Amino acid sequence: MKRSRLPGLTVLILLVFFYLPIVILVINSFNLHKYGGEWSGFTLKWYVRLFQDDAVWHALRNSLIIAGVSTAASTVLGTLAAYALHRSNDRFQKIHHGLIYMPLVLPDILMGMSLLLFFVAVGFQLGLTSICIAHITFCISYVAMVVLARLQDFDFSMMEAAYDLGANSWTATTRVLLPALAPGITAGALLAFTLSIDDFVITFFVAGPGSSTLPVHIYSMMKHSRFMPVINALSTLLLLVTFVAVGSSQLINKQKGADLP
Amino acid sequence: MSGFLEFEGISKSFGDLKALDNVSLSIRQGEIFSLLGPSGCGKTTLLRICAGFEMPDAGRVLLNGKDITDLPPNRRAVNTIFQNYALFPNMTLRENIAFGLQIAKVPKKEIADRVETMLQLVQLEHHAHKRPHQISGGQKQRVAIARALVNRPQVLLLDEPLAALDLKLRQRMLVELDGIHDEVGTTFVYVTHDQSEAMGLSDRIAVFNHGVVEQVGSSTEIYEAPRTSFTAAFIGDTNFFNGRVCERIDSEYCQIEIEGLEPRLRFFNDKNLREQVRVDLSVRPEKFSISRTQPAPDPLSNTLRGTVEDVIYLGSHTKWWVRVNEEYLISVTSQHSRFLLDSKPIRWNEAVWISWHADDGYMLERYDENDEALLVLSDAGLPDDIPPDEEAE
Amino acid sequence: MPGQRMKGWMISLPSMAWLTVFFLLPTLMIFIIAFKPANPLGGLGEGWTLRTWLELGNPNYPSIIWRTLRLSFYCTAACILLGIPFSYYIARAPERRQRALLLLVIIPFWTNFLIRVFAWKAVLHPEGALKHMLVAVGIASPDTMLLYNEWAVLLVMVYTYLPFAIMPLYAAIEKFDFALLDAALDLGAGRATAMRRVFLPGIRRGIQTAVLMVLIPALGSYVIPDILGGPSSEMLGNKIAQRAFADRNLPHSAALSALLCLCVMLPMLMGTLLRRKRTGGAA
Ligand SMILES: Nc1ncnc2c1ncn2[C@@H]1O[C@H](COP(=O)(O)OP(=O)(O)OP(=O)(O)O)[C@@H](O)[C@H]1O
Ligand SMILES: [Mg+2]
Repeated sequence: MKRSRLPGLTVLILLVFFYLPIVILVINSFNLHKYGGEWSGFTLKWYVRLFQDDAVWHALRNSLIIAGVSTAASTVLGTLAAYALHRSNDRFQKIHHGLIYMPLVLPDILMGMSLLLFFVAVGFQLGLTSICIAHITFCISYVAMVVLARLQDFDFSMMEAAYDLGANSWTATTRVLLPALAPGITAGALLAFTLSIDDFVITFFVAGPGSSTLPVHIYSMMKHSRFMPVINALSTLLLLVTFVAVGSSQLINKQKGADLP
Repeated sequence: MSGFLEFEGISKSFGDLKALDNVSLSIRQGEIFSLLGPSGCGKTTLLRICAGFEMPDAGRVLLNGKDITDLPPNRRAVNTIFQNYALFPNMTLRENIAFGLQIAKVPKKEIADRVETMLQLVQLEHHAHKRPHQISGGQKQRVAIARALVNRPQVLLLDEPLAALDLKLRQRMLVELDGIHDEVGTTFVYVTHDQSEAMGLSDRIAVFNHGVVEQVGSSTEIYEAPRTSFTAAFIGDTNFFNGRVCERIDSEYCQIEIEGLEPRLRFFNDKNLREQVRVDLSVRPEKFSISRTQPAPDPLSNTLRGTVEDVIYLGSHTKWWVRVNEEYLISVTSQHSRFLLDSKPIRWNEAVWISWHADDGYMLERYDENDEALLVLSDAGLPDDIPPDEEAE
Repeated sequence: MPGQRMKGWMISLPSMAWLTVFFLLPTLMIFIIAFKPANPLGGLGEGWTLRTWLELGNPNYPSIIWRTLRLSFYCTAACILLGIPFSYYIARAPERRQRALLLLVIIPFWTNFLIRVFAWKAVLHPEGALKHMLVAVGIASPDTMLLYNEWAVLLVMVYTYLPFAIMPLYAAIEKFDFALLDAALDLGAGRATAMRRVFLPGIRRGIQTAVLMVLIPALGSYVIPDILGGPSSEMLGNKIAQRAFADRNLPHSAALSALLCLCVMLPMLMGTLLRRKRTGGAA
């Protein structure tokens, strides 16, 4: 049978579509021309300007604090939730599952808006704390889903084997269950960290004065076109961080894979 | 005399399903005791009750005279080999084996020694540093055994430990298991649904059906003298006859009349049945001899005439289905002790004589037409009579 | 064991409590606050009112709701139409290439969402690269506006949500047994018929998931129309933010959010019902 060329062509076009804007952005970060329409010479001045902008560094610091706190909290809460969901399937856990699942599907603007209303209604001061609460709320669901997937591969007769060999609940959990879940929990935590660092919409709704995270700050810069090349530079740096992180995790995975027979 | 491990009137239900119904067993110290039965009959459930993973609804478990029914699994001197081994993937084989001893806070030096001895026993000294995913199924099996035995349990529970292995490996592991048992002398309770495994390994077997113990006995007892139709049909292959005692010849033998079979049949009357009592009989296929010519008459032998309806050549032996008096289809097997190509084997559609000695049939205590195990044989056109009450005296 | 049941209950307590207070309660609040009057300081007034809901009758809104639905629908359709051949190619490629391609799809989406939207702003900018190119080739005239219209919004919505469609489609196609296609051809079906009657029904679940994964966030789009759209391409999300931040009228944005919430629930409910009917019919 002759194979259709359509899929291959789609792939080619879509990959260009995916990468074109990013490539242009990186090129423009070194472009003297302000709007990047044409190449008017190589420069690093946008990077220099970026490094002189204290607000960017302040926002980055906020982002890291929030991501750290919400990763820690949501990893604990999400892991417990996954365990509870996996162990039983009664009506109570069905409701629990619904609560975990809904934040994953609702558009983030709804979550941001509802939390804003909540904080205003109860008179909670908007700031780093409110952002942390919001981030923990949506990260729990992601962590729970990732850990749940790992739990489904875990054979609970392993726990029985541990009891059988004399372990109590605590030893069985710490020496058998947690080590087996560790990759899932780590993956969940990494995902939570990434989501927290990346989130704009929800943060935007619940941020107070002085608590801008990096994305919120970038957004406010975007409103003024004089910042455009600086954002290019910042974006290029963030891209670099992403690529280094992805690349090294791939490498680590590959090395781990090589260990196996 | 009470046994080493005792189950007293154990019952367990899951919702509406009665997984175990008033099971009582007495297991002796140092024996290999098998729980044999079809899938879903409650073997694993009994084992899990013994290990402490399930609570019985009623009944007690006694180990060495002590009631352990309410003891949690980690405080019982009982260890389990799980069906899928349940080795800890994050530990090396050595760490797996040492786990129980570490929990028990055995001194480090002693742990090392005992683990080493165990590794030697199961011949895994050279693999001790590997992790479970790096070894084969048979090796995993041996690690599981070592991990349990190193704790010197009073009873070792094995739940279909060979089910995940291929046939050849299964046979080899069976021999190894037997060897290990000889060496350590621990009491083994062995669950399987494979009769050849149970018969080859065990000192005694308990046959289970639908949560009830049908019979306990040695392999030979269970095979040669099944008490119920279920046991007779589940262990090996057999032919059933339902009849009526019409005459007691002497204290040992009786004549039995079977509906639709011409000559009356002679059976050894070990149940001492009176005349006119209904009785159910089992005759194993290999007890028959088959020939083209009529065998010499013998008062202690039964002879029937029939036609071969089907022949299956199985290498070491051949199986014939012989139609007798329209209604009966009897399965007969015969071992080939001589070179078969030189002889002229009995073929399809030939008229044959089949005969067996009166001692070789066996009277059942209970016959249940609805046993799943019987359905294979249903073509034999069993009489429509309601199964009679047995009268054992 | 009763002890076990108890423990399961206790373990789920922290996350249950957290999500009840910070997710369920706030979501319900959207519907409650929509009936509250606003106060001029940007907070909430006393008592209850229906005024907010009546204000939604403002002729402005129907057209915005219509636009939201229309753009989301187009975006979903485009993502599915592009996603199927794309995922098909990946799923049928050799294993190594599959992994590489999937990675290539995901990598751009590990970069910040805002930055991706921003990158498009640079591309579509009146003095940006694409415009120059199109003018040079002669497709566009110097005063064509690529930015600040519905097409720009739609384009970047597709760009953003396409991977959400590709992932479930790929998962479904990867599991599809291609021998079925051969069987259909063998039984005399043409290639198009085989695709329509065997392949598409075979990956139905994947398509359903992909539709939901794209449609729902598309309905809630806010950043894309905000940055790339003009006043004539606002969506529901923009209005929600405007009412909350520019006018400080929280009840009003709550009412709009309630509306959006209903728009989102509808396809989800339909998806569940469809699935239930299918499984019910099979039983
Ligand atoms: N936790 C449980 N909940 C509900 N039913 C159960 C549970 N455990 C076992 N059963 C049921 O109890 C019956 C006996 O199960 P058991 O596992 O003891 O069978 P088995 O003899 O070990 O079978 P197999 O040879 O297939 O392992 C089965 O019908 C099974 O479905
Ligand atoms: Mg079992």
